[in-house]
Amino acid sequence: MNEFLLAGTVMLAGFVPVGVVCLRGGPIDALAALELAGALATTILLCLAEGFGRPSYFDVPVVCAVVTWVSGLVFARFLGRHI
Amino acid sequence: MTGAAIDVLLGVAVVAQLVSALGLVVMRTAADRLHYTSAAFTVGPFCVLAAVLLHDGMTTSGYDTIATVGLMFLAGPIVVHATARAGRRLELGHTRPRPDERVP
Repeated sequence: MNEFLLAGTVMLAGFVPVGVVCLRGGPIDALAALELAGALATTILLCLAEGFGRPSYFDVPVVCAVVTWVSGLVFARFLGRHI
Repeated sequence: MTGAAIDVLLGVAVVAQLVSALGLVVMRTAADRLHYTSAAFTVGPFCVLAAVLLHDGMTTSGYDTIATVGLMFLAGPIVVHATARAGRRLELGHTRPRPDERVP
């Protein structure tokens, strides 16, 4: 296991507090937690892609970053208008 | 020397992302929590970008990492701002300042 795989694995622990806020917080708190989870997942995927040493794996964090952005905007729009 | 720098950058990235996640739990209001969301979009990813560039240089992996981190850096504030506006609309029904609020 190299340093990038180790960093990505340790960062997985960050999903625990994010999940707690998603489950126990209000709608906006949960949305903030969801966006942080997206940033965390993208960073972890970058570390794993570098750790595995395969350039094709770097497409996954690019897609994750785009999906995090779009989903955050969609949820913010939905929460702001319909609740 | 380069290996030590990569280790330090990855350590800072891990600590930054974990502190952001813990800050989300510790803070009480949504506005305070959004500050930690913003930090998760910038500090950790930039450290990982620097580590990847030190490790690989300007290769395909480096360019992909630049694209990913650049996208996060540009898109993060937009998402956080939209979330803050949605929270404000949920709280007050509009986004205008209250009469007792001082707006610079």
